[in-house]
Amino acid sequence: MNQQIKNFFSATAIGAAALCSIFASQATAADWPSDNIRLVVPYSAGGTTDLISRKVADLMQNELGTIVVENRPGAGSTVATGQLSRGGRGINHTILMASPGHAIGPAIYPGLRFDPVKDFRFIRKVISIPNVMVVPASSPYNSLAELVEAAKNKEVTFSSPGMGSSVHMSGELFKSVTETQMVHVPFRGSGEALPALLSGDVDVSFDNMPTVLPHIKSGKLKALAITTPKRSPFLPDVPTVSEAGEQYGLSGFNTSAWFGVIAHNSLPDAATSKLTDALDKVMESEDFLAFLPKFGAEAGIESGDNFRGFISTEVKKWAKVAQEANIKR
Amino acid sequence: MENFSEVLTLFLSVDNFVAIAVGVLVGVIVGAIPGLTATMAVALALPFTFSLEPVTAILLLVGIYKGGMYGGSITAILIRTPGSPAAACTLLDGYPLAQQGKAKKALKTALYSSCVADLISNIALIFFASYLAKIALNFGPPEYFWLICFSLTIIVSVSGDSVVKGLIAAGLGVIVSSIGLDAVYGSQRLTFDSYDLMDRVSFIPLLIGLFAIPEVFEFYTSKVVPHIRTAASGASLTLAEFKRCLKTVIRGSLIGVVIGAIPGTGATAAAFISYSEAKRNSPRKNNFGKGEIEGVAAAEAGNNGVAGATMIPLLSLGIPGDVITAIILGAFMIHGLTPGPVLFQENLTMVYALFCGILVSSAVLLIVGNAAIRYFSLIAEIPKSILLPIVLMFCVYGAYAVNNSTFDIGLMLLFGLLGFIFNRTGIASAPFLIGFILGPMFEDNLRRTFLISKGDPSIFFRGPITWLFIALTIASLAFAAYRYWQNRIAATNAS
Repeated sequence: MNQQIKNFFSATAIGAAALCSIFASQATAADWPSDNIRLVVPYSAGGTTDLISRKVADLMQNELGTIVVENRPGAGSTVATGQLSRGGRGINHTILMASPGHAIGPAIYPGLRFDPVKDFRFIRKVISIPNVMVVPASSPYNSLAELVEAAKNKEVTFSSPGMGSSVHMSGELFKSVTETQMVHVPFRGSGEALPALLSGDVDVSFDNMPTVLPHIKSGKLKALAITTPKRSPFLPDVPTVSEAGEQYGLSGFNTSAWFGVIAHNSLPDAATSKLTDALDKVMESEDFLAFLPKFGAEAGIESGDNFRGFISTEVKKWAKVAQEANIKR
Repeated sequence: MENFSEVLTLFLSVDNFVAIAVGVLVGVIVGAIPGLTATMAVALALPFTFSLEPVTAILLLVGIYKGGMYGGSITAILIRTPGSPAAACTLLDGYPLAQQGKAKKALKTALYSSCVADLISNIALIFFASYLAKIALNFGPPEYFWLICFSLTIIVSVSGDSVVKGLIAAGLGVIVSSIGLDAVYGSQRLTFDSYDLMDRVSFIPLLIGLFAIPEVFEFYTSKVVPHIRTAASGASLTLAEFKRCLKTVIRGSLIGVVIGAIPGTGATAAAFISYSEAKRNSPRKNNFGKGEIEGVAAAEAGNNGVAGATMIPLLSLGIPGDVITAIILGAFMIHGLTPGPVLFQENLTMVYALFCGILVSSAVLLIVGNAAIRYFSLIAEIPKSILLPIVLMFCVYGAYAVNNSTFDIGLMLLFGLLGFIFNRTGIASAPFLIGFILGPMFEDNLRRTFLISKGDPSIFFRGPITWLFIALTIASLAFAAYRYWQNRIAATNAS
């Protein structure tokens, strides 16, 4: 009998606890956000990721109340991402602006204690910026094919603003697919990389559209190809790498600088859908649509599972490229 | 003439003047607070400029930049805590002056030198932008390599009494700077698998630790309480004294302009090069490091000379020379403008309105700076037993604020200990800092040069710029050796 009473009480207690937790989670869902939302930027203040994050945060505030932007740079964005993956207090009100570093980081930084795909909730890709394959105006190469042919017989240098950047990895991917003798010359930031390209000290770069677009327009750089599957409206005459390099196995070549909002994978469904709705509205707003062309950018397409699928493909792609490029982990 | 009136119409609005004044004021205050740098202030102000007119927006950011460049010197002089990296050189003579009760003199020297350098830099921007931009484009990895080699020779002039100790400190600085992921191969160097170390050691915690923390340690470990002299009672700078510094200021400004026009070298290096050159040319060279106003003037002229000139590659080529100009580039883009030759063709009126504003900012800096000195010099009147805990608090906050990282606080305290050991063993901290800043630039450019030349060393001698810096490096080393030999003879004769 005693045993039965004990069982009864423990069952009731478990039931009550479960009920409470359900109510609690329902309350969280209905009231979300019940606190200020924290948008973590995994890079320093003032960079492109920061600029885009602050703009998006500014527009999202109309939908979701105060959004505090917090910069947490370190180890190519993996410090902030690692912190997000560990959860903790306020995690249900924390989102992060992920960028190519999210998918490239695991290929470069050793022993990361998080899974770039499984540990996160992927809300929405917000912006996508194509990279452009550019050579100096004085370069003897006038097309992708000419450059590849030359690189088969001699070393051709390509610059980047730093190891592990989307610019660097685009070059490594290109090198690995075309099996050419390309040599990476790393700089620290575009400010250092750009003069070396303009003056012809390096042969080619796969730089971000907003960095090189003004120099293409002023005739100081020649654009050979766009790294995304579709041509860019900003350079409609420039072919894609896929188009121009079909004979070299470059079909389907796709790299870009992208920015998207992610959260801890414990984020309640209701909060996820509220965030998705808010971001949808932001991306439809006139303000946002006017913001995009200033960065040579296009609106991101993927959200939810599609976004997760995109990241998953990216992670695998960069892991392979990093291994082939002999980048140490 | 019609264009001129258009420029004036665009520039002469209340908004622009308010933007400059607010910018400079914010810059001076933020620059003076250790750990809060002008870079952070510009980055955080950027979202506020989204809704402003383009000229007003850029002027606000430029104002913060200029104010911050000067503001850093205030705390460097008063409490040996460089508010910004570029002010690290200012404290070499600024702090000894403050200790001698001449804080006001040092602060005024810093302000006037800053304003003159700023003006010279602005004039260079307006009249010689296209010419200097061409030089900047001719700076490839081999040219940078030799520039860094020349810059490394300044270790000799900031080593204090012993060149050997200076070289040890510089070597340590280079070792610390090599922590992180290798730039070419991505292999780990001295990171001990810590993610906080993979992006290299953060500069600001190192800077605060090295200079500010030892003062705190010294205060609590020394048995004799230092006699405090008040700043307000100190004499101001006389016209004769400033005239004596004028040559140094102009030289420093020009060094700043050239360094500023070349992307990626930075104000800190300019300040140290200017300081080193001033010391070499000064009849009072033995007084440098012990409280020489010429030293303060040289450092401040060097770092403020950079401020206007970094706008040269930005405006004429669309290349940001440092982090701040990269943020300003972002501001241009937000407003749908593209710095570079196109800007001069399509928005000439706007460019000239900007130039007007930048010139006015030098004058505003003078006014705001004078007011700031009046209030900030009160800091020197606070008893050290109250002041130092507050300084320590700011140090902890400043180290944390850069990356929002508690790891950086530990790092700062560690470098504080190192700085304290340096002080006790008579090793100068400045060479450590120079080694830390220039070490990676030396390595990066050496490796880049070999990468772009496919291993051919003849590229190191490829043109007039490389030869110029080779000559300067050799001359600088020869001069140092000559001085050393002279001192040896003097010492032998004396004994």
